[in-house]
Amino acid sequence: MTLFDVVFSGNDAVYGLTEKAIDDAIAANGADKAVAFPDTAYSLPCYYAVTGTKVTNLGELKEALGVVKSLMTREKRLHDAFMSGIATALCAEFIEVLKYMDGAAPYAAPEAGHLPDAAIRELGVPLVTGDIPGVAVILGAAPTAEEGVELVKSYQGQGILVTLVGGIIDQCVEKGLKMGANVRVIPLGKDVTAVIHAVSVAVRAALIFGNIQPGDAAGLMKYTMERVPAFVNAFAPLNDVIVACGAGAIALGFPVITNEETFRVPKSLIVQKDVSKFNATSLEARDIKLKITKIDIPVAFASAFEGEIIRRGDMQVEFDGSRVDCFELVLSKDATEVEDHKIELIGPDIDEMPEGSKQSIAYIVEVAGKSMQSDFESVFERKFHSYLNCVEGMMHTGQRDMIRIRISKETYQAGFRLKHIGEVLYARVKSEFAAVVDKCQVKIITDPAQCTELRHSLAIPMFDKRDERLTTLTDEGVDVYYSCIMCQAFSPSHVCVVTPERLGLCGAVSWLDAKATNELDPQGPCQVITKERVIDERIGEYEDVNEAVKKFSQGALEDVSLYSLIEKPMTSCGCFECICGIEPLSNGVCIANREYAGMTPIGMTFSELASMTGGGVQTPGFMGHGKHFISSKKFMKAEGGVARIVWMPKDLKEQVAERLNATAKELYGIDNFTDMIGDETIAEDPETLLEFLTEKGHPALGMEPMM
Amino acid sequence: MPFTGKSGKFNAAIRTVEIGTGDKAVKLGGENVMPLYSFDAPIENAPKIGVLITDLGMENEVAGIKDYYAGASSFAEIAKKAEEMPGADFVVLRFEGADPNGEDRSIEDCVAIAKEVGDAITAPLVIEGCKNVEKDAELFTKVAEALQGKNVLIMSAREENYKAVAAAAGLAYGQKVGAESAVDINLAKQLNVLIGQLGVDPANVVMNVGSAAAGYGFEYVVSTMDRVKAAALSQGDVQLQMPIITPVADEAWNVKEAMASEADMPEWGSQEERGIDMEIETAAAVLASGSNAVILKHPASVATISKLINELV
Repeated sequence: MTLFDVVFSGNDAVYGLTEKAIDDAIAANGADKAVAFPDTAYSLPCYYAVTGTKVTNLGELKEALGVVKSLMTREKRLHDAFMSGIATALCAEFIEVLKYMDGAAPYAAPEAGHLPDAAIRELGVPLVTGDIPGVAVILGAAPTAEEGVELVKSYQGQGILVTLVGGIIDQCVEKGLKMGANVRVIPLGKDVTAVIHAVSVAVRAALIFGNIQPGDAAGLMKYTMERVPAFVNAFAPLNDVIVACGAGAIALGFPVITNEETFRVPKSLIVQKDVSKFNATSLEARDIKLKITKIDIPVAFASAFEGEIIRRGDMQVEFDGSRVDCFELVLSKDATEVEDHKIELIGPDIDEMPEGSKQSIAYIVEVAGKSMQSDFESVFERKFHSYLNCVEGMMHTGQRDMIRIRISKETYQAGFRLKHIGEVLYARVKSEFAAVVDKCQVKIITDPAQCTELRHSLAIPMFDKRDERLTTLTDEGVDVYYSCIMCQAFSPSHVCVVTPERLGLCGAVSWLDAKATNELDPQGPCQVITKERVIDERIGEYEDVNEAVKKFSQGALEDVSLYSLIEKPMTSCGCFECICGIEPLSNGVCIANREYAGMTPIGMTFSELASMTGGGVQTPGFMGHGKHFISSKKFMKAEGGVARIVWMPKDLKEQVAERLNATAKELYGIDNFTDMIGDETIAEDPETLLEFLTEKGHPALGMEPMM
Repeated sequence: MPFTGKSGKFNAAIRTVEIGTGDKAVKLGGENVMPLYSFDAPIENAPKIGVLITDLGMENEVAGIKDYYAGASSFAEIAKKAEEMPGADFVVLRFEGADPNGEDRSIEDCVAIAKEVGDAITAPLVIEGCKNVEKDAELFTKVAEALQGKNVLIMSAREENYKAVAAAAGLAYGQKVGAESAVDINLAKQLNVLIGQLGVDPANVVMNVGSAAAGYGFEYVVSTMDRVKAAALSQGDVQLQMPIITPVADEAWNVKEAMASEADMPEWGSQEERGIDMEIETAAAVLASGSNAVILKHPASVATISKLINELV
């Protein structure tokens, strides 16, 4: 027998029963006898949703059965199996509604049977908000009552709404499990047809919360598939009727997980022999992500502790990457390689380390997700500093393999151990990056030999690979740029166009950050900007970029160039790390950073320059930018590039020297270019600066006039 | 050559959102011109005025407000008086006392008050919360359920709790949703988009884009409203075409000009007069900037703003 045969035969059996039940009811009561579920405005909710027709009496029910029959086509195609599944479900609804004839109350506590509309509205709100992350429909009897109750409790603990049909109800009663809507465990009924009351919840949710019009069967199935996170756990033995009902569930987008060796349909009919793994298998199959509301550690976690300093005398233990081998690393993995919330410690824990000692540590956070990209690894990793600092009595500095962590004596005495680092990282990564992380596990290694080994074999090559990616990431090499309008609250018409070689002017939003922000928050401040219709390659002007800038500035800005200081320069909000401005005498530009309080050869201080550069207006000749942009090959490329830089404060020059010199060497073959650039110790006025530049043979002096 | 004025009406328009039921239902929005520019094209629905009452009663109010409500002791009586205030279009019930850091009034008590008020009046009702996002989410869900069929406006769904509030008010119980953001056009738009993604019909959404008393960072409010209306009308941005409602009383009566006692500031004159002035100035300014409704509490302010609207539209 094939799966089709089973579904069709189950469907036929239920249809036969339904037809007989309706005929018997008509024979006994006449066709005009009213039938209805109590407390619903949706008639027979499933039939009404699928067909748009309300059934009020037995005669109409008989007609409806004719419609159901028309769904029962018998080609061996997936569509036929699904429709037969739906037909089976509708038959179940007809059988159930007959039980309610004459205002009967066919179900007695704890069984609920049909749920009133008010209950759906009440459950619907937490379903929409994700406070109820999923709906489990458990069908049949578990191998043992213990296993059944364990499964129910596991879902309950996750906030998942559990509905019970069949033998599992008696098992829960036997074990004294508290049941009811208030504890989110709802026994529906012992007949298999009672499963329709669970389907009815999903269907009415679509009608009420999804604005699905009755009769729009395709819209209904799309809504239940995308928005109702339900799944079925069906215990062995399965008969044809259950399989046929299962086909109906699958048609609505609800996967069926069973412990019976039966046909398998990828992502839809899943065999899991181990009942204790039903929970994990179901959540993965239905793609249910649990909200993490609490971090399981013995001390407080709050941003109030972020700046906390742990002095040597107060510390229980220190991990110091500058002395011994340490590192922190995020790796993206395949879903099969990651077991969610697994936290593993390899090596001694804090209680086995001498008080005040310096130790090795490496923690590797492995994540998997359908939308995860390896480009996000470093974005997550950079947040670790803030996560770990938020732990009371924990101090974290540095990044990559240059981290230093101190844990205070009080925190240690409160019971804090190394697995709690894993708990913090797990909880924060899962909640903050829920859009892309489906599963996350943490490995913490304190064994010094392994730390050394892994640092050199795994971490450093990985960091090198990322640096390599960053340096090879060019504006030409990517298909899209990103907007950033985070600052529009106070600079309403400013739009940053973030490209691989030009980070946001605040210095905090690189192209990778913007990309991750867009992925995590698709409606957020970073939106995709295409760059297909070039207007002028030299200054970096594109039609699509202009359109985007116009849209995001609400029409305040018409056009912008990416690489020019003079022609349509990019605007500034006011958060710029640096400002560069034309210095006419030397035919170059001066750059001042925010920290520099003194005078520049332009005759203005940073604050004076800022007052004419910010506010989202284009000021040709002046531009705000990030520190990293100074060494970019795209820095005022249209005007000749970094060779135009004639002056910057000494501190800033030191910060950017290495990368700037490399760029100058590559672009112009100049060695130690920064030695040719003036600073406040050399000149604060244009005349003295010019003398210095002439003496050094600065390239800007020989370039074409900028204006 | 005679001067021929060019009409500044737009092809796009602000959506019309109706709150309340029956004869006294009010329509917000619908205009296709800049705020109050009735000379460019007729403004079908003049800006509306809501009268604020709170679950804390009259104890902390100024004399003029106490006098107006004199004799009204139950919430039903107070609401009735509010509805009858000359110039009032709707009543706003604010659950200030629900705040867990304040009186922490229980949800059940709040629902009972909401029902009492809802049953007492025929004018449309607007519900404001206590600004605690968790408590508000629960409160709004229950109040929206209790007031089914009354087409009330539930203020506010915020970024932190919009899912619960909008799902309950806008989907489950058929009420109107107030989308509240903090003086930022992008946040306002983002919230509208998110509420739309939940499945709430944009025609059931009203915006509160944030407020401040005149003089207290007020230029941000003006600029935000200006830009929202400009984007909605001149750029036809459908995600910003929801009408705007602005709670003025909460802000205006909570600044030092309205709160400093006459003993502390004898040279400033009557405290109550100052509060009324702040309320009127702020309301007039947000109406000029694009608000389709304002929420006020002093009878003198309501009368003045009502007169202003009648003269201009």
